[in-house]
Amino acid sequence: MAGAPGRTFSYRGRPWKARPGETVLAALVREGLPTLARSNRYHRPRAPFCGIGQCTGCLVRVNDRPAVRACRHLPSDGDTVRSERGWPSPRFDVLGILDDLFPHGIDTLRGFRWPAFAAPFYHRLIRQLSGYGQPPGGPVASMLRDPPTSRAVDIVVVGGGRSGKAVATRLLAHGLRPLVVDRALTREAMPGADTMGSTSVTFVSPSGTGAPYPFTLLGFTEPGTGLAVRSRTVVVATGGYDASLLFGGNDRPGVLSADAALELSGPARHPLFRRAVVVGGGARARQVLDRCGPDVSAVVAPGDIGPEVVRLASDLEIPLYPRSLLLRADGRSRVRSLHLRSRGRGPAFALRCDAVVLAHRRLPNAQLFFQAGARMEWRAGTGAYYPALDPVGATSVPGLYAVGEAAGVLDAAQEEGATRVADAIAGRPPLAPEPLPRVAEGGPSELDRYYRELLREPRPGRWIACVCEDVLLEEVERAVGAGFCGIEVVKRYSNLGTGLCQGRYCLPDALLVLSILEGRPPPEVGYITQRPPVFPTPLSALAALHASVPAEAAG
Amino acid sequence: MTLPRSSYRTVIVGGGILGLFTAYRLASAGAGPVLVLERGFLSSGASGRNGGGVRQQWETRATLRLARESVAAYRRFGREFGYNLWFRQSGYLFLAEDPSELARLRTVHELVRSEGLPSEIVGVDDIARWVDGIARNKLVGGTYLRTDGTLYPFPAVWGVYETVRSLGVDVALGVEALGVDVRDGRVAAVRTSEGVVATSTVVNAAGGWSAEFSRRAGLEVPNVATRHEIFATQSLRPFLDPMVVRLSDGLYFSQTMRGEIVGGVTLPHPTGTVGGMPSSPQFLTTMAHALVELIPRLGAVSVLRAWSGFYDDTPDGFPVIGEDPRLKGFVHANGFGGHGFMLAPAASRRVAGAVLGEPSDLDPAQFSPARFLGPRPPATAEHLQLG
Repeated sequence: MAGAPGRTFSYRGRPWKARPGETVLAALVREGLPTLARSNRYHRPRAPFCGIGQCTGCLVRVNDRPAVRACRHLPSDGDTVRSERGWPSPRFDVLGILDDLFPHGIDTLRGFRWPAFAAPFYHRLIRQLSGYGQPPGGPVASMLRDPPTSRAVDIVVVGGGRSGKAVATRLLAHGLRPLVVDRALTREAMPGADTMGSTSVTFVSPSGTGAPYPFTLLGFTEPGTGLAVRSRTVVVATGGYDASLLFGGNDRPGVLSADAALELSGPARHPLFRRAVVVGGGARARQVLDRCGPDVSAVVAPGDIGPEVVRLASDLEIPLYPRSLLLRADGRSRVRSLHLRSRGRGPAFALRCDAVVLAHRRLPNAQLFFQAGARMEWRAGTGAYYPALDPVGATSVPGLYAVGEAAGVLDAAQEEGATRVADAIAGRPPLAPEPLPRVAEGGPSELDRYYRELLREPRPGRWIACVCEDVLLEEVERAVGAGFCGIEVVKRYSNLGTGLCQGRYCLPDALLVLSILEGRPPPEVGYITQRPPVFPTPLSALAALHASVPAEAAG
Repeated sequence: MTLPRSSYRTVIVGGGILGLFTAYRLASAGAGPVLVLERGFLSSGASGRNGGGVRQQWETRATLRLARESVAAYRRFGREFGYNLWFRQSGYLFLAEDPSELARLRTVHELVRSEGLPSEIVGVDDIARWVDGIARNKLVGGTYLRTDGTLYPFPAVWGVYETVRSLGVDVALGVEALGVDVRDGRVAAVRTSEGVVATSTVVNAAGGWSAEFSRRAGLEVPNVATRHEIFATQSLRPFLDPMVVRLSDGLYFSQTMRGEIVGGVTLPHPTGTVGGMPSSPQFLTTMAHALVELIPRLGAVSVLRAWSGFYDDTPDGFPVIGEDPRLKGFVHANGFGGHGFMLAPAASRRVAGAVLGEPSDLDPAQFSPARFLGPRPPATAEHLQLG
């Protein structure tokens, strides 16, 4: 690719050059971490958090399209990229004052009821605090360049990462040719396999056994071409992501998930940070140290720090703070310091830093299992729901299989898991009847004990329970205090988890917090029903599939 | 959980908006003690799954009057129940795509005017002004009633729930009504998943599950639960005020206070009845197609979440309100065909009246459960079951 021309787009009136295969965000972070937006309600600064197209941190307007994730957009020449919230700029936004004016939030649930005649005025006012962007400027001809894809296949593998690749390779060895649908924008096609890149499967519907193709999958190829696949067998290899964590100022620019640190840093890139605090003591923290070690100034962990991180950190002379409570991240436009306290005892202290990288907890991308109606089970090890699996890797839905991190299979056993699933699909008798090692099932999690201790602390600063919708932790507590309980009710009461990340980054922590506040185990607080689609799906893509989805296929 | 008492004067089956409002009317009239049984969580049924539309444009005077009374009640709600519904009276806009549809809307319009409401016949230019970017080619006109509107369903549930609890009503969440014990031809007790509760009156306000509960009490009813789907898009800056309903395919949508476009469409084939509550590929693609065809620029907007819920349909499109003639003490409050939320404040008064044995102002030929028991089907019907 060396010498390839790249693409030139404009942002804030200036031309920017993206190398081939580089997203808008990747081009922008070459000059450091940008503040691209403001939150809807309190106009808090928003900068990239996840780097993998899941959060609300890098929303921009591209030409006529609102709320495009800069980390998912491969620019075309002449694209105009703009920030939509924040005047005069997202970094210095006049309405940022709202954040200081309402230290306990704007109460739209009970407030604004008097006097009655003011209702229309209140409506106009509060509506101004909504919307990620202006509606599109015109029809989206450019998104419909390519006709929709509609196919019927025997096997579809959703996800082309490590486990997805391993399943596909093994299936190919058995003489089967799966369709591999992969969301990554840049991953290379697998030799021999039928691969669709830049494509997200966002909806799966089992139409019942007996149908020739029991599964209908819908999705889209970036930026907006529709995909409909009917399939006999589905292997879900959607992997996982790095979770968020609750602390004061947890939404501040510079608080990043490990996904973002790994995705956006790399050779020939401007480092995203110079002195980051890495949070976590396990395998993911080690990966961050491996990649970004010289730019890390401390490792902090809610629990213990594993021997590999200890070894790596001592080689790099990075101080370690195991078993620490994260109290708050300070700084105006970007994190400047992280305030901590040793768990169980000790005074609070601060670490100077320019980023906080969260690498303490991996969560599964389990939405497709929920959608397909697979039986799910709670696993306390990570504090998440996973599909119930037989030793081969089959879910409770016939024809639906799970591999890798989405299935909760531990790292060392992922290839073995992929082999078993591929062999089962090929009709080979299973060799190993023992179940695969998976995320621990029982007991209260480490994070549960952590939050128990944290909730007893005084809480200066803003604690944002849901970053997309600016829902404060105290609003969640007020809901519980008013007698509304269970994650489903609290979600509806507070709007928690109803924003653009679809609850990925807030509901897992909220579930643990509610379990403590309500005094019952997380599975009783609720089953997090993630409503389809898995990712926001362009209407144009779905509309184009109108003719390819047969009406009588209803279940 | 165990129930707080072993006997109640009235047991209401269904903790949706209608059941809670009925409990409120009974408790305010001093007709306690009242128990509300909700088998799921608060707002788990249609009360938490509807699109929040409240309209007064109907084909029959009876439904229109209930709707008008409900609009007045929802206007007062915030001051009476402590929660802000954000009831935005920015109108319902019905769209016609051919002269026969327009003629049908004109009939509705004349009825609405005759009841003193400011309905307007509007032309394509008006429509294009209200709905920026709408494709004009197929439209011939429509009707608009500015006092119709949209609200947030959830706070209505929270508000009535808190109020009835403060009035001493017991609301049992996660408790299912399993059946009715009958003694001497009248209701004697309700069997629940938490034991038997003695009562002389049971109100069936179970929405999509009402037919099932009636059958558990030994009563055959014509109600049918049908699954309807709905979706919400990513949130956009405010650009659309009215609720828009297209007559030809039942497409309806509005922009909520939070900026999301929420709406649904009538599918040519129903996608299932009581059971799970998933979404279907048919709905997602049909709805997206209908919306983008009508407002092409919305093509670049993304669907954020989709869900479904149950309508409790009756053969003539009127709800069933009143005591069942076959079983004394069994009061119906169901069959609202997807419009229970918008009619609940007014309908609950009549349900409470039926419980208390007060005379009703509703025409029994349109609302009484007895209308399905005669040899002939009911004479009138309400067909405007959209949006």
